[in-house]
Amino acid sequence: MRRRAVREALRLTALYAASLVVLVWALLPVFWIVVSSISNRIELLSRPFKHWIPHEPTLQNFVDVLTKGQQFRAGGSLPTATLLISGLRNTLIVALGTSLITSVLSTLAGYAFARLRFRLSGLWFWFIMLMMPLPIWTTLVSLYYLIASLGLLDTNISLVIIFAALSAPLAIWLMSTYIREIPRELEEASLIDGANRRQMILSILTPLALPGITSVFLVTFLNTWNAFLLPLIFTNTDRSQSITVVLSLFVGQYEVAWEQMAAATVLVIIPPILLALVFQRFLVRGLTTGAVKG
Amino acid sequence: MIPVALLSVFIYYPAIRTFLVSFTSLDLRAPLNNHIVLLGNYGRLLTRPEFWQVTGRTLLIVAMVLVVETLLGFLIALLLNQKFPGRGVLRALVILPWMLPPVVNGFLWNWVLNGEYGALDGLLYQLGLIDSYHFWLQNPGAQLRWAALVQTWTRFAFPTIIMLAGLQSIPRELYQVADVDGAGPIARLRRITVPMLMPSIAVALTVEFISSFQIFDVVWTLTSGGNAGNVINPFTKTLMVYNYQVVFRDLKLGLGSALAYLILLMSLGAGYFFVRSLYARAVER
Repeated sequence: MRRRAVREALRLTALYAASLVVLVWALLPVFWIVVSSISNRIELLSRPFKHWIPHEPTLQNFVDVLTKGQQFRAGGSLPTATLLISGLRNTLIVALGTSLITSVLSTLAGYAFARLRFRLSGLWFWFIMLMMPLPIWTTLVSLYYLIASLGLLDTNISLVIIFAALSAPLAIWLMSTYIREIPRELEEASLIDGANRRQMILSILTPLALPGITSVFLVTFLNTWNAFLLPLIFTNTDRSQSITVVLSLFVGQYEVAWEQMAAATVLVIIPPILLALVFQRFLVRGLTTGAVKG
Repeated sequence: MIPVALLSVFIYYPAIRTFLVSFTSLDLRAPLNNHIVLLGNYGRLLTRPEFWQVTGRTLLIVAMVLVVETLLGFLIALLLNQKFPGRGVLRALVILPWMLPPVVNGFLWNWVLNGEYGALDGLLYQLGLIDSYHFWLQNPGAQLRWAALVQTWTRFAFPTIIMLAGLQSIPRELYQVADVDGAGPIARLRRITVPMLMPSIAVALTVEFISSFQIFDVVWTLTSGGNAGNVINPFTKTLMVYNYQVVFRDLKLGLGSALAYLILLMSLGAGYFFVRSLYARAVER
């Protein structure tokens, strides 16, 4: 009996040691950026011995970076003090707009593909899904000139439209598989009770499909928030530059005020981290559909 | 059907137009001199030393990423497949890097690897492993290796999750039978776990191949020089960065479109290869 307890203790020790190594690998860079963001410059740039825990933690870097804009070491600053705020605003608008549109569209389309028999429905489904492996890059060149000719360059609307189009296939697939797994009887019962289709979708289907819709919403939000290439190409002023693009502008060619850079970075990664910790299950399911069922 | 309309206008139409443009010599610096060159752009790319250099470099990054990611993902999946208190927390924390914007990951590591004030230097120095600070990103070979490492850090959670799902679907009876037969842990790993995991590994490899083949964000902020006005670092120019340069810096649309389709072709070819050789064979067995 005791031998068994010893073995179990050894096993746990080994597992926790391995877990520690994994955690250090996964989290150390994040830990360091957080520490950097609350350190003052003197402590941060100390060498060769670094201050792993700041002695005088400060939130001044956050205040500075939000009100004064990025300051370079020599004292110069970017022309627009509020670039970071406008970046956060733009990204929030685009990410929320895209996720909302995608959720609604994919629920309706997913319902249509899962339940309704309409002409050429199989063909339409493949038409949508075919685009999934298509790298965005093949469309970009002409998409740029399309958006330009519509006069929509450097607007949040153009980004919402493009991201909604891009997230549609995966979202529709996720919703149609999700809705297929919901028992049909409830919907049929409510239709027999005299509800029309729109009432049925709103009051019966939506609540039942809510976990699926949540997945779609969160994954779309995360992907849009994290995107870089598309905003880099389609935006050029603070009217629509996303937070990731703004961040890339913060790195000067020769010098960087690292403690402020760190504060700006922390502001950018807080939402994804919160989402990941709170809604892990929904996110992982959304991000790995297609991979597992494909 | 709004999604169909949306996709037609904003994805298919541009994709087809790009395809057509790839057969012309369209160059925005000389827009009037536009004529049809058929496969000329493809020929020009394929005979350019720079194209092969960039492709080779990209494949080198891909190879490093795939090997390290698969091994790492496998080991972490094995760990997460064990039952112990705190496993849920570990799983939640391990996927964090995957959730962060890849662009930010370039910055994070750029700062960690900083040669004057970086955390890696500080850590190694304080542990007594080095006696002076290094500039980690100084030479071209190192830049490629670090780019591969950062890409690995960004993406390793995906193969981990896929393989974990694969591990959990292996029937327990197989292991019980192996126990009865007296197979040791290594034999069980070789004879049961790895073969049963092959479909998951194939899926992970395919997705990760495409993702690292089209690496852009990480390279852009780790070693390419950062903001849009800067010179592109030639030593870490990958296919996507090359394509960006041809289209949006040099404004050679015809050539850039052809390059985009070459990249698509190579991705599809590799995807087909992985699915055929790994997935199909694993499933047949």
